[in-house]
Amino acid sequence: MLNGFKSIGRLALIGSGSEIGQALVTKLVADNSPEVILIGRDGDFGLDITNKAAREGLVNQLFGKGDLDLAIIAVGVLGNNSAKSEIENLLDAMDVNYLGTVHLLALIAERMQVQAHGTILVISSFAQVRPRNDNFAYGSTKAGLDFYARGLAAKLRGTGVEVKILRPGFVKSKMTAGMTVAPFAITTEECATFAMKALKSKKTVTWAPSLLKYVAVVFATMPAALFRKISQR
Amino acid sequence: MRRAEPQPTSGWGNNFHSLGNRVSASSIAELQEIVAKNGSSRGLLPVGLHRSYGDSALNSGGTLIDMVALNQIDIDPLRKSAVVGGGVTIAALERAALKHSLFPPVVPGTGFVTMGGAIAAEIHGKSHHKTGSFSQSVRRIVLLLASGEITHLTPADPQFWATVGGLGLTGIILEVEIALRELQSNAVDVTEYRVKNLTSMIDLLIRSDNEFEHTVAWIDLSGDYRGRGVVSLGNYGATPVKIGAKDSKGPSIPSVAGLNFITPLSVKAFNEIWYRKPLKTGPVSLPKYMHPLDGIHNWNRIYGDAGFLQYQFVIDVGQEEIFEKLFAGLRGLKAASFLGVLKKFGAASQAPLSFPRPGWTLTLDYSMSVPGLEKFLREFDQELVSRGGRIYLIKDSRVEAGLLPAMYPELNRWREIRMAMDPNQLWQSDQARRLHLC
Repeated sequence: MLNGFKSIGRLALIGSGSEIGQALVTKLVADNSPEVILIGRDGDFGLDITNKAAREGLVNQLFGKGDLDLAIIAVGVLGNNSAKSEIENLLDAMDVNYLGTVHLLALIAERMQVQAHGTILVISSFAQVRPRNDNFAYGSTKAGLDFYARGLAAKLRGTGVEVKILRPGFVKSKMTAGMTVAPFAITTEECATFAMKALKSKKTVTWAPSLLKYVAVVFATMPAALFRKISQR
Repeated sequence: MRRAEPQPTSGWGNNFHSLGNRVSASSIAELQEIVAKNGSSRGLLPVGLHRSYGDSALNSGGTLIDMVALNQIDIDPLRKSAVVGGGVTIAALERAALKHSLFPPVVPGTGFVTMGGAIAAEIHGKSHHKTGSFSQSVRRIVLLLASGEITHLTPADPQFWATVGGLGLTGIILEVEIALRELQSNAVDVTEYRVKNLTSMIDLLIRSDNEFEHTVAWIDLSGDYRGRGVVSLGNYGATPVKIGAKDSKGPSIPSVAGLNFITPLSVKAFNEIWYRKPLKTGPVSLPKYMHPLDGIHNWNRIYGDAGFLQYQFVIDVGQEEIFEKLFAGLRGLKAASFLGVLKKFGAASQAPLSFPRPGWTLTLDYSMSVPGLEKFLREFDQELVSRGGRIYLIKDSRVEAGLLPAMYPELNRWREIRMAMDPNQLWQSDQARRLHLC
């Protein structure tokens, strides 16, 4: 339960390996001492997000032991494993980023509705703005997740449950190591600051950095020929 | 039975906004039906007038049972007692009792508390050093259990003491028998003294304990935080006074765009005026003396949308040093309290979760928006616990659950009795969830 200062009593980070997630949790525990449940390979619970029964089991465990104030969903793969074919990578990204994550999101939202309170933070991506040759497969999974999360946020208005979406651009982390650094790149620490802002914001969507909101408008409305030119660089 | 759509509910401090269902019942049969038919995992919670400051009377996702319709009052002048419904308010009981020159021996600072609430919070008043807390005047509690059974509890039963101070988590208080005391008039003879600092205040309170049935001090915690204030002492008087309309109906504080009017500057100005005001001497009507703030409805609104918290703790006599640490910290935060109340408690009751026990109790109100307040109070709680003190749960909205066993050493005994009374966790509250009470 939140206290009277709105400080979190119990939170779960799903995707304990996520550097953005870790940085955010560090910020959330700085002023308080909430109970933190880490879910992932090195966490308190493991989770095979591609397994339906595992997802259901995890949610039962999470909510069986008390109210959850915040769920941070920070799972995701880029789908760029060079040992796998393009099709296999596509299936991986779909299974993890869309099917697994959206199912988990729906399950958590259902349980939070019973509590009549709680916040879910979904980490989306700038990549879902417009398909680019180098990451449209990944972008399509994030676009699907983002779309569902926005719909869920609207549906849950008035229930006490909130869905917040963070849309980071290029974040310098293990996940993007070796990739060409894109403009407006931020560190995981900076990204966590924007995630904090997302949690406090009344708006559903928060960009990281904030300027990306306007970059996205330009990107989305740019003529196709110009966009091709820019995205090929 | 009436059901209402889920809507946000707050405690008196307006610092929680909880969504729960609400039903109101006006008979025992209706209450039994509500208990029998509850299918939700979030449970039920009987509530009164929401004068608890934090989340004691909230139940997110569950159901609140409005008890105020259980309002029958039967006064027995011969036995000097009253049999009253769980939804009867202290103010209503006072009015009914005064007609027979009787009065409840323990009343809190507000008359807007139901019998169920008074027991669940084990309330106390200005007379605690003489009369103890509310349970000392309770002869019998009729309780509706989670099983649907109705049980009559007396002070000989452990379940009686688990219900006293039990925050509504043992069952629904249907009816209560209260012992009343005889009065010669409807007035309290009051004497007030202005004191320059905390030492004089403490001194005067100690000296007045024997002579006066009602003792309390208003303390100015703004400006230089020396603890100047006004000590108010009273005894039931012999001269009756006329109770005017002013005592029952007062002005209301409108909500002005949710703004907070409690700033260090306004508090300082107000406290200055209060400190300088002419001192009261002579007879004051009982309702006016006992419930000074009830004249202004919704006074909690002056804190605006951010809401406020009330921090009340008790500490042994001999530990007065802690006040200096507290005042220094508050001065550092530039946190000014509109209302500070100091009182010396008498003997504790045997309820495991009863707050009062011998020592000093200090009560402070702060806006939730004071920067650094949460951290400061967390640190102060540690200091308090290391000195054997504790905070009052009915006022709480932020204590750390881990400190409760130290503050309330009998917490586990209460849990065991409660669990036997409610093995399926029908009675739930947001505070119970936040502090892992059950």
